[in-house]
Amino acid sequence: MSLRRLRTIIGIELRQRVRSVGWYVLLGIFAVILIGILALSFASFALGSGGNEWFFSLVIMLVLLLVLLVSPTLSGSAVNGDRDAATLAPVQVTLVSTAEIVIGKFLAAWISGLAFLVVALPFLVIATAAGELSPAAIATSLGILVLEVGVVAAVGVGFSAVIARPIFSVASTYLVVAALTIGTLIAFGLGGLALRSEQVSITRDIGWDAVPPGCEPGLLNQADECPIYDELPCVENSYVSEVPRFDRVWWVLAANPFVILADATPPTYVGGYPQDLFSQIAYGVRAAQKVPETETRYDGCDAPAVSPSLTPEDQVEGTAPSWFVGLLLQLLIAGGLLAWGIARTGTPAKRLPPGTRIA
Amino acid sequence: MSERPPRVGAMDVGIDAGIDVAGVRRSFGTVHAVQDVTFVAAPGRVTGLVGPNGSGKTTLMLMLASLLRPDAGEIRIGGVDPISEPGGVRRLLGWMPDSLGAWPSLTAREVLVATGQLYDLSRVDARARADELLDLVDLAALASSAARVLSRGQKQRLALARALVHDPRVLLLDEPASGLDPQARIALRVLLRRLAAEGRTILISSHVLSELEEVVDDAVFLMDGRTVGTDRVAAAATRMRSWRVRVSSDPSRGVEAARADVAAALGRTMGEVGSDRRDLLVAFADDAGAVAGLRALVGAGVPIVEFAPAVGDLEHAFLDLRVAPGEEGSHA
Repeated sequence: MSLRRLRTIIGIELRQRVRSVGWYVLLGIFAVILIGILALSFASFALGSGGNEWFFSLVIMLVLLLVLLVSPTLSGSAVNGDRDAATLAPVQVTLVSTAEIVIGKFLAAWISGLAFLVVALPFLVIATAAGELSPAAIATSLGILVLEVGVVAAVGVGFSAVIARPIFSVASTYLVVAALTIGTLIAFGLGGLALRSEQVSITRDIGWDAVPPGCEPGLLNQADECPIYDELPCVENSYVSEVPRFDRVWWVLAANPFVILADATPPTYVGGYPQDLFSQIAYGVRAAQKVPETETRYDGCDAPAVSPSLTPEDQVEGTAPSWFVGLLLQLLIAGGLLAWGIARTGTPAKRLPPGTRIA
Repeated sequence: MSERPPRVGAMDVGIDAGIDVAGVRRSFGTVHAVQDVTFVAAPGRVTGLVGPNGSGKTTLMLMLASLLRPDAGEIRIGGVDPISEPGGVRRLLGWMPDSLGAWPSLTAREVLVATGQLYDLSRVDARARADELLDLVDLAALASSAARVLSRGQKQRLALARALVHDPRVLLLDEPASGLDPQARIALRVLLRRLAAEGRTILISSHVLSELEEVVDDAVFLMDGRTVGTDRVAAAATRMRSWRVRVSSDPSRGVEAARADVAAALGRTMGEVGSDRRDLLVAFADDAGAVAGLRALVGAGVPIVEFAPAVGDLEHAFLDLRVAPGEEGSHA
């Protein structure tokens, strides 16, 4: 791996992008959408009366959404587009290695994706100022945004090296993004419901059958022969039901970019309740890790104890942060696709993607 | 099967880097693009690769350029195997593809500088080399134009310059003259002769045989993915060929009168003398026959202004090989 050659590959890619009009149009549209979102958000969240933390997290989520939508177009035709334009082979006959070509293109796609984050930065700063979020939260969420752009860039470049036609590789990249954002949600929901387990519910309650006719244990002035509560027997009932096992599929949801963003950002709780959108989502995902009890007991005979009401903050206590599991999964997908792409683009080529000419 | 010429210079490494190909084969699925190719291209010489469309020229070039792996056979570029040591071969080799791809929004100079850097030249060296090459291929005036706005011929010259960036010992040129104007063609010819004189090995493919003829020292014929044996080429070259005869005549007399004169002088029937616009075509079995024919014409007082082979040597051999695939067995 030669740094100079890598830099040259990145330079070629970036120079072409910087000189295309379409690139600036895309950045412009991106900025216009952000202005719209920001204006709408300011209008809908009355500043000063609370809820501002939600505001920042909402804006950064939308930035993530836009970046996920734009990134595949920046990377999805990196290698096969060059092959179509006959600019790949002249590079391959130089001393540059296939790994340098693919990784150089990946880094270039990542850098161009980051340009969108740079455009988004002023908006994020405004949203942060309005939202009064902690610097740690901002730094973490920005870091995750940077990584997510990189993951999509790697997936796109990987597919472009594996699939012959640019439209199909761009489409495949979009499908992976869709699978991570929407697919994980569906898999989580359906998977949790499909993997059910039995739960035994045991209830003890007063045996109302033992109350003689005419008696009402609740009344004060009742006849002597009527039993009072303490004299009534206790009857135990049990029945079996099935409960969904979200604890077995929570890691699927962990690969969702939005969940990663939410879970990685340090949560803020006020009075035990989530204070922003990130903490809310993170709470939802963490709660899914809880194994449902195989047996629940309800005792109606004992004096109704003060049930320990758990706040979301208490519930999240002791659960594993899932974001790095998800991020690791994403990095594996991204790295795997890049490695596959490098293997498929290697020269001298043993086999070519069907329907392509090498030059 | 065609005979394999003896392998020479297979293990020469260094300044004299030739091309040595033996029994190379490559298929794409059911398409057997290259079936059996064996030839040697020597340093200091320009070798022409001649064959019809689809005969496997470009596939062969790609294998020589270390981009494609042959299914069987051996390739040595200056003694280096492009399969096991692609890096070593790439240092030696300049390749100019038939389809020119240049990054559209980079300028001609940037294309050359970037290519130089991919060959591990420093930025300063790459810039100096780029300017040198832009002068060499006469693109200095367009150095700052985007590659997208260059004409086909200009792109072609840029591709040639790109193939020369690292001063390669071996040059593979796939249709280098297509799209070039006559002046650029002459310049290309002069340049190729000069590069060969410097001891480089040059392999060049072209459809325009008359043009190839002016520049090549040796020719390799490729038919249906096979190299044609030298004996078969020699046999083709000695077969009956047509000569072009131009008679200086009074326009009022017409071609027919001249045709009659020529037929009479050569002792042939009118049917044996063809005509091509204002020229006449006469077939002779060999050079000696042509000499005798010319003597007879001059002796008979026919005013000859031009007497030359109707087609060049390469074209003659090529056309002859093409029409005679059925006879292949008798030559092998």
